[in-house]
Amino acid sequence: MEPYISVKNVSHKYPNGVTAIKDINLDIHEGEVVAILGSNGSGKTTLVKHFNGLLKPTKGEITVGTMNTKKERISKLSSQVGYVFQNPNHQTFLPSVRQELAYGCKNLKMAEEDIETRVQKAIDLFQLKERLDDNPFDLNSSQRKEVAMASIMAVSPKVIVLDEPTTGQDHKGCKRVLELVRMFKREGHIVVLITHDMHLIGELNCRTVVMNQSEKIADDHASVVFSDKGIMEEAGLQPPQITQFANQITSFDETKTYLTVESIIEWMKANKEEDVKVGTGS
Amino acid sequence: MNSLYMPKDSLIHSLDPRTKMLFVVFVVASSFILNDPALQLVFLVALFPLVVLAKVVKPYLISIQFLLLFAVLIMTVHGIYNPIGVTPVFEIFGGLTFKYESMVYASVMSFRILVIGTAAVLFVMTTHPSDMASALVKWKVPHSFAFILLSTFQIIPIIAREAKIVMEAQQARCLDVKGSLIQRVKNLVPMFAPLFIITFMKVHQLSYVLECRAFSRKGEKTSLRETKIGSLDYTFLLGMLGFLAFEIYLKLFMMGSLQLTTDALLTYSLFGTWIVFGFMIIKFVVKQFQGKIGGAN
Repeated sequence: MEPYISVKNVSHKYPNGVTAIKDINLDIHEGEVVAILGSNGSGKTTLVKHFNGLLKPTKGEITVGTMNTKKERISKLSSQVGYVFQNPNHQTFLPSVRQELAYGCKNLKMAEEDIETRVQKAIDLFQLKERLDDNPFDLNSSQRKEVAMASIMAVSPKVIVLDEPTTGQDHKGCKRVLELVRMFKREGHIVVLITHDMHLIGELNCRTVVMNQSEKIADDHASVVFSDKGIMEEAGLQPPQITQFANQITSFDETKTYLTVESIIEWMKANKEEDVKVGTGS
Repeated sequence: MNSLYMPKDSLIHSLDPRTKMLFVVFVVASSFILNDPALQLVFLVALFPLVVLAKVVKPYLISIQFLLLFAVLIMTVHGIYNPIGVTPVFEIFGGLTFKYESMVYASVMSFRILVIGTAAVLFVMTTHPSDMASALVKWKVPHSFAFILLSTFQIIPIIAREAKIVMEAQQARCLDVKGSLIQRVKNLVPMFAPLFIITFMKVHQLSYVLECRAFSRKGEKTSLRETKIGSLDYTFLLGMLGFLAFEIYLKLFMMGSLQLTTDALLTYSLFGTWIVFGFMIIKFVVKQFQGKIGGAN
């Protein structure tokens, strides 16, 4: 199958001479959820900013759908690649949630009815019915983030890029992000996540790309990447606690990487560990 | 800290900020006293060694380019159209004539801009903003006022960075920033609304942070960076004073007999600015062109 986003030998050098990414090759197919991991300054954000043309490669080529990002306008690419910024305050500015949701579609000069149906769909998916007339700045930070995501979603781009969606969110907010990512996947979107949240990746159990010092050092399923000690150490990453725990208990299946609490419970049940009782409590 | 300050080890850098502030005042005063294109040109050239001494030649030339734009515009437009001109000097195509009096007027104006600009750039590039604030406090300027000045220097780069992010964020929402002029004016709202809100939030936060660190405490404050007026400063101040006296003497007693400004000088300085401006345009075009070429590979 043809990849939807195809990154070929892409390097980007900023005008100040810093090479932020070096010779990146990456194919992203329809329906995939891809997490991009790496320490600060490793080039994660620079890489994804290429997807909607905010940055143009100084070397190499990126194709999104049938478009070459170098030749297309950002506004056109943005209709295919939605980018949710880390801080929703940079994106929201309209006095009501409803206007905020319609804004992207209006920029694309869609027909009135078309906008209405898209906004309605976003309202349903995000359950924003009660907040429609609220001012986004009166909402709390996780709600505001949700509005920012919904406003991107309303344009219904093929790809949704989330820049650190769980940073600064409480437990409820993080859980909501997880739900939303699953919802995006169900709706047939490609999701690209930049995150430091290992727990989130463990739960999503998705493809993981690891960046380190401007280069891609790993690109595989989360369970494979998390079990590769060399790569994790090189990139300065730590797998989720439950994975660390499982790695230390020798009685677990060593060929498998456990990413979630559920997977371990499953293993216990399957192996009929007599001593371990799994209750309903935490 | 993010400002125009260039940390270098030079004679000018080691001067007290107060001396340099006085220097700026001195240059402004001189540029008005020396009300003659030739003398101002001499003054401008005389300031250049200081730039060399401060080791900021390259950044100085880059920032002075913008002022040169003003100079070119003033000299050309005033030279032709200013109604005070009566004596024609030379004619360019289309019957447009440069007149002596208007050229004198335009040259004085534009050299004044360049001279004051040079002093200001020299001051900003060689003075650490915190030093300036502590020097102002020593002049009995209220601490909070000095801080207002200081924070202005700090907040400009921050706003510039935020503006870039907001711009990208709006483009990510399908905003076409390369539309028609009307479209671009309309785009100012999605640009500035979030920018203002974010700036206010930041300033609000800053006020809390300052209060947490006892900003509004009454009484004397000490400063991490101490500035001291030394023998170098006195020498510099004395030099300025001497120069000022000389200027006033020149102005009062010798202006009648001293006639340095000639047609040739005016014409050459006009051509000079045109040529430099031409180079700037060529450089700009070449850079754009290279960008296109580089972008296509």
